[in-house]
Amino acid sequence: MIKVEGLYHSYSNDDRYAVKNISFEVEKGEIFGFLGPSGAGKSTTQGVLTGLLGLQKGNAVVAGYDLRHPRREMFNHIGVSFEQSNLYSKLTARENLAFYSKLFDVPTLDPMDLIRMVGLEGKENMRIGEYSKGMKHRLTFARSMLNNPGLWFLDEPTTGLDPAIASTIKALIKKRNDQGVTVFLTTHNMFIADELCNRVAFIVDGEIRLIDSPKNLKLRYGRKMVDVEYKKGDVVLKDTLSTIQCEDRARLTQIIDENEILTMHTKEATLEEIFIKATGRGLA
Amino acid sequence: MKLLSSFKKELILATRSFYFYIEIAFALILLSVLLFAVPEHIQMKETRYLYLDLPRQAEDSIIDSLLGEDTDGKIEKVFLEAGGQEYAAELVEKEAETIYLLESEDIVRTLADTQAKVGATVWLDANKELHYKYYLQGYESKRLKNLISVLHNINEDKLEQSFDLQKVRLAATGYSPLNDRENAVAPLLAFNSCLMGMFVMAAYVFLDKREGVIKAYAVTASSVAQYLMSKIFVVLLTAAASSLIVLMPIMGFRISYALILLLLLTASFFSSVAGLMIASFYRDIARAFGTIFFILILMMVPAISYFLPSWNPEWVQLIPSSPLIQGLKDIISAKEDMTYALLASAGFFAAGALLFLATDRRFKKTLNL
Repeated sequence: MIKVEGLYHSYSNDDRYAVKNISFEVEKGEIFGFLGPSGAGKSTTQGVLTGLLGLQKGNAVVAGYDLRHPRREMFNHIGVSFEQSNLYSKLTARENLAFYSKLFDVPTLDPMDLIRMVGLEGKENMRIGEYSKGMKHRLTFARSMLNNPGLWFLDEPTTGLDPAIASTIKALIKKRNDQGVTVFLTTHNMFIADELCNRVAFIVDGEIRLIDSPKNLKLRYGRKMVDVEYKKGDVVLKDTLSTIQCEDRARLTQIIDENEILTMHTKEATLEEIFIKATGRGLA
Repeated sequence: MKLLSSFKKELILATRSFYFYIEIAFALILLSVLLFAVPEHIQMKETRYLYLDLPRQAEDSIIDSLLGEDTDGKIEKVFLEAGGQEYAAELVEKEAETIYLLESEDIVRTLADTQAKVGATVWLDANKELHYKYYLQGYESKRLKNLISVLHNINEDKLEQSFDLQKVRLAATGYSPLNDRENAVAPLLAFNSCLMGMFVMAAYVFLDKREGVIKAYAVTASSVAQYLMSKIFVVLLTAAASSLIVLMPIMGFRISYALILLLLLTASFFSSVAGLMIASFYRDIARAFGTIFFILILMMVPAISYFLPSWNPEWVQLIPSSPLIQGLKDIISAKEDMTYALLASAGFFAAGALLFLATDRRFKKTLNL
């Protein structure tokens, strides 16, 4: 669905590249996470792939369209949700979606259905200027689904949302992915990436450092430990044991056999820990 | 369909923003000024201070001749105040000037100085020859000073006879002379419809940039050119409406509205595209303000030349508002030959179209601004 080879981009048209020599592929039906700290080059890459920035050097094919010869028809097949809400503040939610729905050559979803999907029913006739930041963000997200895109670019889709709404948004992403939609997810939130993505790419200083599935990364970088909390008589005890070393494995079996287990968790590394380990950089 | 939809959206946005109402309000203010503040025939009444240092008989003779031209045939005793002091004066009110007869040369000088008006003293020397001393303001033209110098050295009767013999006729024919109010319409219309359009267009784009909606538009299957065109249509519509508000009550049905709208709309097209081009270089209106202000001032220069025809250097004629004002004047004067107005319209359209192509390219490159 997306094929990028040796992509470079410089805002100053010289060798100060915001992204350099980036190559990756996103398969159809995949949720691909593009992860990195602020200024790493995530938005620049998404800008090039969505046609907002010109292709300067390298090759990129998006939804079957070669970006060296950009065509507007491409936008009938992709949807873009921006990190910063960008809606007409003097129009109502319904007017905003109705207007954008006229700008595509393919059948579009009903604005009211989209408004309902993101939990804004009852607020459809309010002007966006009166919306809260979170409400604007949800409507920007809803707008990106208008043309029922096969490839969906999402930039920080849950930023600034309360947990309940964020959960609704994540469920929507999963649902549409189940229907075959490919998702290119740009975020610095490792939890949402971990939860949603089939594969993730770590980008730092304009370069991709690592691409793999969260599961493989955890296996490769995780510490393979188990935290166990158990009751011995009236005393609650805790222990952390290796799942690899024979001595620890035997001890774990013994604890399970002889005591009442209160909690037991495999101590996987988080994506954030893996990111720091793999890139030597934090996500702030 | 996409263009129509964008146009409808822009129209809704325009009616919900104050820029649209500013343009309409400005047109109404212009109309009020033209109807209530600009008379059909402007009369510039001058004020003069005069001291007659003459024997009683000569003074009475001059006063009698002045009284002959006084509107009510009577001299009024009045007091003038200057520099905290009051001065007694005799007032002669003529059609085109107001003359104060004062009691000394010093008072004439003081009043000429403090009131910034022309003063004069007339006296007889020992040889019974008349002398005139003028107190001018310093900014009078050399031509006026020369005229004053020769005025008292030639035979007055001959001069009057010569004036009477002069026949004045219009050298140019084929148009209706305009009164002062109608004469003011062309530059005001150029400013209101076209130059305001440039500013308002830039303001609309900066509003969109602030809200980030250009980016959202750029990821739809609609072209950037359609986005720009929809904005231009709204500005053209506003320009037409605000122009008609000013034109119809002043000019009635004496002019060709088809022609004037053609010229105004093509000129507005050019100026609104110029507004778009300016907006493409800046992130917000505060940064663009200097450029917009400079261009607005430059575009207003031909209006100065319009009201002061003696000052019309060639470079002023190169400023785009110059052919616009001239074309509008031709149409308002109902000139028989409209070639100039039509050529100006074609020129504005062609220049606007070329500028539009360049602007479209600029916007495609600067979507992320």
